[in-house]
Formats: sequence, structure tokens, C-alpha cells
Amino acid sequence: MHIPDGYLSPTTCAGFYAGMTPVWATAGRAVRRVVRTRFVPLLALGASYSFLVMMFNVPVPDGTTAHAVGAVLVAILLGPWAAVVAVSIALLIQALFFGDGGVLAYGANAWNMAFVMPMVGYGVYKLIARRCPLTARRRAVAAGVASYVGLNASALFAAIELGVQRDLFRSANGTPLYAPFPLWQTIPAMLLAHLLVAGVVEFALTFGVISYLQRANLPVLRINHRGIADRSPTRATAEPRSDSEPRPGPASGPAPGTRPAWRWAVVGLAAMVVLTPLGLLAGGGAFGEDAPRDLDLRKYGLQGVPRGLARYSGTWSRAVLDGYGFGSGSHPGVAYVLSAVVGLGAIGVIVFGGLGVGRVVSRRRSREVA
Amino acid sequence: MSPATPGWLLRPETGLCPCGCLGKRRKGSYVEKTIEGGADLLRRVMFTDDVAARDGLLQRVDPRVKVLGLVALIVATACFRHLSALMAMYALASALALASGLSVAFFLRRVWLFVPVFTGIVVLPTTCSFLTPGTIVVPLGTWFGSPVGLTNQGLTSAGLVVFRVATSISLVVLLTITTPWPRLLDALRSLHVPRMFVLVVGMAYRYIFLLLASVTEMYTARKARTVVDSRDVAGGRGFVSASAGALFGKAHATSEEVHQAMVARGYRGNARTLHRMRLGPFDLLFALMAVVVIASLFGADRLVRV
Repeated sequence: MHIPDGYLSPTTCAGFYAGMTPVWATAGRAVRRVVRTRFVPLLALGASYSFLVMMFNVPVPDGTTAHAVGAVLVAILLGPWAAVVAVSIALLIQALFFGDGGVLAYGANAWNMAFVMPMVGYGVYKLIARRCPLTARRRAVAAGVASYVGLNASALFAAIELGVQRDLFRSANGTPLYAPFPLWQTIPAMLLAHLLVAGVVEFALTFGVISYLQRANLPVLRINHRGIADRSPTRATAEPRSDSEPRPGPASGPAPGTRPAWRWAVVGLAAMVVLTPLGLLAGGGAFGEDAPRDLDLRKYGLQGVPRGLARYSGTWSRAVLDGYGFGSGSHPGVAYVLSAVVGLGAIGVIVFGGLGVGRVVSRRRSREVA
Repeated sequence: MSPATPGWLLRPETGLCPCGCLGKRRKGSYVEKTIEGGADLLRRVMFTDDVAARDGLLQRVDPRVKVLGLVALIVATACFRHLSALMAMYALASALALASGLSVAFFLRRVWLFVPVFTGIVVLPTTCSFLTPGTIVVPLGTWFGSPVGLTNQGLTSAGLVVFRVATSISLVVLLTITTPWPRLLDALRSLHVPRMFVLVVGMAYRYIFLLLASVTEMYTARKARTVVDSRDVAGGRGFVSASAGALFGKAHATSEEVHQAMVARGYRGNARTLHRMRLGPFDLLFALMAVVVIASLFGADRLVRV
């Protein structure tokens, strides 16, 4: 999945560097706040580990072997932000030292494998594992599924990056300047390989490592799972040996390390926002959304526009950005992106305004009760 | 340093992507492959050390100037729109390799073994008129009445991608193989890459070899215990997972020890470094040459219309 230099245009590469800079800054700050002076050695060893995980050959049934990326594994063990930094550094060493993945394309590779993959994977992991005990089998399965989903999300991003080059960058006579494959070719090619082979390998390794650590090295698993019980309470009472460790009971409330579950929904939405400009490349229109004047009447065997449709279709004619464009029809690309920004802003105002009102009301009510 | 590494240790193999997405697929035991992978990593590192210690053109240039100059050349390579400009840049990269004491055979092998495997085969279908419509130059018959063949646009585009990839890889190889790793990190630091980041990269690179030694030991022990080469896939996966898990345990314990050692030596969360790099007339000459080459090739590339 390492994209070499020459496949992506310099503007795409610059865009991904620009996109990754705040991610790296946030990741660095987030990790440093938690581990303080331990920051450097922890991340250095994490980066060496994620470099070496890519070297483990996992046997696949037909007798061949394949490698895993391991970004989701690192995210589960050290936390997603630490994984961002660790995998980025592993990729940098690969690019600079082993010529694996380009130097200009490093931003794009880091975006796919060091940001999308651990973040998506960790989100899926949290969603499935929830607060089940540390030694539960469900946690290992969740880790496996998360790595499978994360890897495929990452492959999808790589496919999109490669696939859009052809339509965006051409010379005067239509010669594609960079990766010459269309989207309909890159997406199936990347996803087929990753859904069927690489994803399975990733699942096997992540599932295997987590279940090994559950058996053999629970303290390591506790690093990123503060406030989660080792065993389910019923079994814990049967085994009084484990009472030597303080375990947060239900009365102690949520541990300080836990974060609201909707955080991951926000990450998913942010990814969709970033993908919005893809709509500029899509051709054709959606079924059943044509304006009456654009209807292909002959196709549906109609003589004229149905009366009801003609009457009610013009009920609201004061849209600001009609058809996601300016009224004059100029600068369709800018107008499309502007429409997206305006739409997002409107939704954000409604959602966060609603949440704020709800919070104020509930706070007042709880104060009245007190 | 250079005569210390015997030739048989450095015998090259195909440059493969460690993510396993390309290259030859030999059917072999996962144990042997992992041990070989580790040996291959060490072989490359030793070879790089040898080359960086030679007396050549690029080895004499100040690492900061070299990083800036070669990255500028890579960016220029990415911007070219003509095959001839790319070829000129490739010729320049080969000349630099020769002047830096690299054998032509190594340089060609390192790049052209990789390019056809991945880029060439993948790009091949796009030369056809199905994927890249345009002026057909090599007709291949007709398909439902419309002519089918290799198009001018498709062939040019394939050539552009292949040469662009080959030239970029050559330039990166030149940068990394002629600069010792600590000097490269020094250069990054003095180019205002955050110090903390450079410190982590340097330390990560150092501990890769320590952890690699543990991996090799685990796999060699496994090989020593294996009597029959069985195809026990499930058992093999269990072993791989367990060794990866054990490696994480080791890595974490090491990071704790390293942290304590650092704090004991007075580390308070700030990276301090000694750096003494001075620019000489030779470095300025190299920088000037890089600017001239980029400006002339870029100008030629943009002035000529397609």
C-alpha cells in the first residue's frame, strides 16, 4: 500500500502534507500530555515495534506468507494518537532508508496508514469491545475486526488518491500525467486484494497478539485500558486471588481516562467532510431528483410533465445556492465546495445549538431537584 | 569500515516492499522468511554504511545542502510534463551515482528491478484505448465495430509514470545511500524539523536493531526446534502472534528502562544537541548547480508545448 513518488501529483502531495501537519501536532500534544518525559522512549520503541511488525511473515493457507501493517494493533496497545506518531515514524524510516514509499508521497502514505487506519480501527474496536472485561474473548475478536476494517479503510483511501489523479491532472492532448488508472479500476483492485487476503492476515495477527497478551502479559494490555476490569465480576468473586489489585467498582463512576463514545462518530464525519470534493468528479444525476424540465419524458413513456409535479415543484424557489451552484452558474467547483461548507455550518449550528439548549435545560432541572 | 563487510554478506536481492503488496512470492516457511527478512535489513544497512564511507561527489556535500538540493530535484521531477525532461533528470541521477562511487549495475538493479514489477505491469493496461482514449498508434483490431489499439496518449502516460517513478526512486536512493543516518538526522534538525521528532526518529532507528535481534533469536530458536517442515498454518499463526506479542512486551519494558536511564542522566523533557556543520565553497557550488539544473530543465519543460 506504500505509494511511491511519481503516482501522485505534487499538489496532491502538498495537500496531504498540509492535512497531516495538524494531525501530527495534535497527536504529539495528546501523547505528551499523558506520558510527559516518557514521551520520547515510549514513542521511539513504539515506532521500532511498528516497523518490525511489518516484517513478521504470517502463514496463509495456500503455503505462502504475507505481512500485516499493524497500525490498529499499535493503536489498541498504546492509544490512537500514539499510534499516529509511531506508525508515521516507521513509515518515514521506510521511505528514507529503504526507498519503500515515496518522499513526496510520504504525507499521503502517512494519511492512509498512520491516520485513517489507526483511527478507523480504534473506533471500530471501541464500538465492539465497549467496556467488556480485559480478558474477554470479545475484546480479541473486536481487535481483529477493527484491524480488518481499518486496513480496508486505508486501502480505500489509497485507491481514491490514485484514482482521482487521472481526471485531475492531464496535459493538453488528454495524456494523464500521473497515475493513469480510473477510479472504477483502482477501487476494486485495491479492495479485492485487501478484503480477501491482506485484511485476513491483519485480522489473524491482531486477534492473535491480543489473545496472547490476554493469556500471558496482562499488564501490557492495561497500559491503554485504564479503568477496565480484568475479568467479569461473577468470575472475579470466584477467584479471590485477583483481589490484591484495586479494581474500580461501579460506585466509583467512569474512570478519568474514558471519553464519550460519540467521539468516533465525529472522526467518521470528519473523514466524510474531507471526501466531499469527490462529488465534483461524479457524472450524471441521482435517480428521481431531476427538475421537471430535465425529465426524459420519452424514457418513462409520458406525454408531458405530470400535473401535480409541475404544480408543486416550484413551491420553494428562493434557494440561495440553487443546485449547489451560484445563480449565474459560474465557478461550479468553488460553489460546490462553498455549498458543502454552508451546509456543514448550518447542520453544526442546529446540532450543537440543540445540544447546548438541552444541556442548559438539564442542568437547571438537576439544580431544581437538588 | 568499508573493507570490513565481506561481499557475500551484501549480495543483493530484489528490493521488495515489506508490506508484501508486491514482488516475487516464494513459497517458503514463514520462519525462514522472517529470518531472511531480518538478515536482508542488516545487509542493506551495512551496504549503506559502506557506500556512505566512500569518497565520492555526494558524500562530500554538506548533508543540509544535499537534502535541500535532492528534494528540490525530486519536486522538479514530479512537476515535469515531458518525457524528455524526465529522461534528462534520470541521466543526471545516474551521473551523480557514478560520481559518488556507486556501480552502475547496482544503481540500475535497485531501480529497474522494482519499477517493472510494480509500475510496469500495473500501468500496461492503461496504454490501451479502452482506458485511455486518444489517437491510436498501434492498432490491435476492432471491438464491436470501433477500432481498438494502443493510443499515443496511453503510451506517453505510461512512459511518464514509469520514468517519473524510476527517477524519483533513484534520487531518494542517492540521498539516503550517500549520507550516514546520524548525519541525515542532523541535517533534518538544522532544517527546523522539530527536535523532539528527530530525537524520536533517531532513537526508533537505533532500537529497531535491538528488537530485530530478539526477533531473530525467537525465530532461530523456533527453527532449531522444528524437526519436520510441516505446513501447520494455524500453529504457525499462533507462533507468529505470540512472538509479536512477546516483542511488544519487550519493547515496552525497554522503553521504561530507557526512560529511567534518561531521567537518571538529567533528562527533563528537552532535547539538546551538539551540531557543528559548516558550509564550504564546494557545498555552495553544489547548490548553485542544483538551482541551474532545475531552472533550465523546468524552463525547457514548460516552454515546449505538447
